[in-house]
Amino acid sequence: MSQVMLVLFLWFTSLAQAADTLYLYNWNNYISDATIARFEKQCGCKVVQDYYSDNEEMLAKLAAGATGYDLIVPTGNAVEALIRSKQLRPIDKSKLPHLKNIKPEFMNRFFDPGNRYSVPYAYTVTLIGYNTARIQALSLPTNTWALIFEPRYLKKIKGRVTVLDSQRELMAAAMLYLGYDINDTDEAKWKQARDLILRAKPYWAAFNASSYIKELTLGNIWVVHGYSNDIFQADADAQAAGRPFRIASALPREGAVLALDSMVLHKTGRHPELARRFIDFMLEGQNSAELTNLIGSGNPNQEAMRYISPEIADNRAVFPDASVMAHLEMMRDLDRKSRRVLNRIWTEIKLR
Amino acid sequence: MSRTEAHPEPPALAPGEVRTRWIVSTPPILFLSLFFLAPFLIVLLASFQYPGEFGGLAPLLAQGDSPDHGLTWENYQFFFSDTLFAEIFLKSFLVAALSTLLCLVMAYPVAWLIARSPKGRRDLLVLLVILPFASNFLIRVYAWMIILGPQQALAQGVNWVLSALGQEPVNLLFSPFAVLVGMVYVHLPFMILPLATNLEKHDPLWLDAARDLGATSWQRFWRVTWPLSLPGVFAGSALVFIPVLGMFAIPDILGGTRDMLIGNLIKDQFLGVRDWPFGATLSILLTLAVLGLAGLATWAGKPRRGHD
Repeated sequence: MSQVMLVLFLWFTSLAQAADTLYLYNWNNYISDATIARFEKQCGCKVVQDYYSDNEEMLAKLAAGATGYDLIVPTGNAVEALIRSKQLRPIDKSKLPHLKNIKPEFMNRFFDPGNRYSVPYAYTVTLIGYNTARIQALSLPTNTWALIFEPRYLKKIKGRVTVLDSQRELMAAAMLYLGYDINDTDEAKWKQARDLILRAKPYWAAFNASSYIKELTLGNIWVVHGYSNDIFQADADAQAAGRPFRIASALPREGAVLALDSMVLHKTGRHPELARRFIDFMLEGQNSAELTNLIGSGNPNQEAMRYISPEIADNRAVFPDASVMAHLEMMRDLDRKSRRVLNRIWTEIKLR
Repeated sequence: MSRTEAHPEPPALAPGEVRTRWIVSTPPILFLSLFFLAPFLIVLLASFQYPGEFGGLAPLLAQGDSPDHGLTWENYQFFFSDTLFAEIFLKSFLVAALSTLLCLVMAYPVAWLIARSPKGRRDLLVLLVILPFASNFLIRVYAWMIILGPQQALAQGVNWVLSALGQEPVNLLFSPFAVLVGMVYVHLPFMILPLATNLEKHDPLWLDAARDLGATSWQRFWRVTWPLSLPGVFAGSALVFIPVLGMFAIPDILGGTRDMLIGNLIKDQFLGVRDWPFGATLSILLTLAVLGLAGLATWAGKPRRGHD
């Protein structure tokens, strides 16, 4: 009899625990352990994380029927897709006292006018990362996409360049270099961008979205088209390993892609109240700053700036001046017809 | 291979035996229909659907004002609208064939050595062939990134020789060569094991008899050992060819800017560009191509069984 009671007791406590668990579907390495521990202590709950490494991977998992995530941290264009497919729960902003900490330029963006569903979390910029010693020795320019597209520069760094293995990101860089808008879906312009890419491709080592961090650190790759936080990571690793070079990032003058990640509530989440508390917690300056100090991400929170280590806060590629900031563009979601056109162009790029 | 045993008419079974056979074979039949046939039919259906705007599939029945519902040939039309996708198929088949051939050439001597070793050493050798499976597949492929890296002894040595010959230095990592190395490395055991199992069964007396009849060592191999080992060659080739054809991780990790294979293309449709129906179409066409090839191989291999 006592055994039955014990089993029942365990069952009830597990239910109680389940009620106090926040299911967070987050990017890999996109929150500090210290932040999680502090929130768990404050709310007397548990945080369980699942990870994705790409917005499309996250959307695919949700489309395949994954449920139960309270909170997700998608990029703007994926927020747009989630809102339009009616998968999100509106957020009651009156219950977010710390929302005022977000800099106004990050609020009310195209993907969620009035921020009905999303609260900014952090951002990255897609830019050029490079090995300082090598680039200085070759006296190459870093403030232009020409570095990864123009054979006259590329021939000095042949086989030492990687670009992102992402249709949208690589096309965006090519479109910017050609002077077009990154969200232009005109097929003729895409084909111009394709030709630009195909001309530069023989000089590139690989399309790469993950191991370029390590290759930069090792000194195998000298120039990358990559995300600001990855380049920060490569530099931190290179310093820790005592390499004779640094990894720096540069914002091309033609413009770059800004990826603003926002916290959203998924409709199938069972703990919206806890998720709301988590959002407000992450809006506090110190908690938000911890992420930036960990991975070097851009931070839309003005209160966080006080806690961010000066080396990151002074990095103009991560925290650009207002005039440059206005030059950064966010990607919009493509409709299915355009996706297929781009898909064919991309396959051609990969095969030729 | 079991086909050979079917040549004499099987004797009629007692009713009890029939029941036992059904009981024994029901679980595997259920397993196959649940985990092979059902998914295949789902993929087949998906290949005739429209892609959902936000991932997944568009509904079969009309919903709201969206025109994208029901069934369509669009995905197959997209595939055949351009030679591009067929080229990727062809390239993937060539890579798979080359990997299989390299595996065969490398595996045959090893398998022969295993088969001819005394019992105790044979078990040890088989264990050594299986040993790499003890560590994770991705970790082993990542290890090749280090081995082939430009600052490692291998690349330095190759480039030293090339520069001595007045040639341009090459990159080993991120190249078709690296992809092939990865493919052969990962799949080699799948060729060695069936070959060794087959060669083990050969009676050494057959070779002695051939020698007595005046066969040279090459003739003993080509006229005796090789034909008898064909079932092992076919089994090993299938175990290498088909997984290589669908492999996307190795080209992703070791490949350069021209190493997209069919596996990468299919993966992209699901995890990259929200086009499940086209991914399904590619999968169906790949399955058909593989089945066609397997049928061809069976047909080509048939006359050799005549003497059994």
